[in-house]
Amino acid sequence: MAGLVPPGTTAIPAEASKTAHTKAEEKTDYMNLPCPIPFEELQREALMSLKPETFEGLRFDFTKGLNQKFSLSHSVFMGPTEIPSQSAETIKIPTAHYEFGANFIDPNLMLIGRVLTDGRVNARVKWDLTDNLSVKANAQLTNEPHMSHGMVNFDYKGKDYRSQFQMGNGALFGASYIQSVTPHLSLAGEVFWAGQHRKSGLGYAARYETDKMVAAGQVASTGMVSLSYVQKVSEKVSLASDFMYNYMTKDVTASVGYDYILRQCRLRGKIDSNGCTTAYLEERLNMGLNFILSAEIDHSKKDYKFGFGLTVG
Amino acid sequence: MAAQPKRGGVSLPERRSAAKPESNILARITSSPLVSRGKQAACDASFVSKKLLRSTGKAAWIAGTTFLILAVPLIIEMDREQQLNELELQQASLLGAPPTASVSK
Repeated sequence: MAGLVPPGTTAIPAEASKTAHTKAEEKTDYMNLPCPIPFEELQREALMSLKPETFEGLRFDFTKGLNQKFSLSHSVFMGPTEIPSQSAETIKIPTAHYEFGANFIDPNLMLIGRVLTDGRVNARVKWDLTDNLSVKANAQLTNEPHMSHGMVNFDYKGKDYRSQFQMGNGALFGASYIQSVTPHLSLAGEVFWAGQHRKSGLGYAARYETDKMVAAGQVASTGMVSLSYVQKVSEKVSLASDFMYNYMTKDVTASVGYDYILRQCRLRGKIDSNGCTTAYLEERLNMGLNFILSAEIDHSKKDYKFGFGLTVG
Repeated sequence: MAAQPKRGGVSLPERRSAAKPESNILARITSSPLVSRGKQAACDASFVSKKLLRSTGKAAWIAGTTFLILAVPLIIEMDREQQLNELELQQASLLGAPPTASVSK
């Protein structure tokens, strides 16, 4: 179904946006459409509300700013981590690690590095060459062979479109393009080629947003169909729902959740069609001191994960 | 009556065949069709009620823990937010009164 529409259709709305300029205020001005959000953030409202970073165990993060631009971060994590197993049972192994990180944040340049006691090193770079062109890179090195990877993205931002080209190790190439078609609707397309696995894919996405709601849909030739809807009920509360369907493996998941952003805390809860409910609470105890509670209950697999943590700075 | 297996695999146990009638009056009463049918009905009723209790228990557990995770923190936080609002309202009314009192002097 994704292969029937050729990628050239995303270029046709571009012609339509160059139609005659109208003087009446009610008519939309197709020459001055807003710049759309980046392609990877298409479903960001739904992702932020429905998929908080739940964890199991203790988490402690301390960020110390040395300068206006430079800061160091120390982080401790102790708790069981799941390892993927072929049987239905989940296997958890208690692990503990300490992570040291350094961040340099400038208006044009952002450098982030992390090193962990289990031998992993992460690095992220974001460099705004000009107003419109920016380069992003991230890399992860591990002890295990063949598990290290890196990726570079080049983003170009036009007046009412954005395009991105990415290259990763293992001969991974990808390109995406998103265009504002009306002040509320934007359409996008992407292609990727993975040399190592000899796979290529195509995807389309659309996003409709107003002040009160955001609806986004994404279809990919890898078999994934993902639709999401977020409604802002008031300035503190928003409700989100998500539907994911894989037409190759016939996997369906639907979830509904809420996101309460109050003055002292942020509470996110979600319930799933797989029988899994999660809740994530971040409470501000003091200036710069945040207390985090995370809970995830999977009734069908009988897997219970609870975590607590503290974030300083 | 032998029950067909229903949806979910729940089915009543098979009926045992009736015993031979004895000459003793008590044995004759206990082996009469009325008493044996009553006994079978009681067995079935206890079996069904056990299953019902178990599934109600399971549903109550799932509903209870889900409510505990999703709703209890929400109620607590909304209550705190309301308390904070009331406190602020009180502070605003307290601080609001003195300046006008001093001006009117």
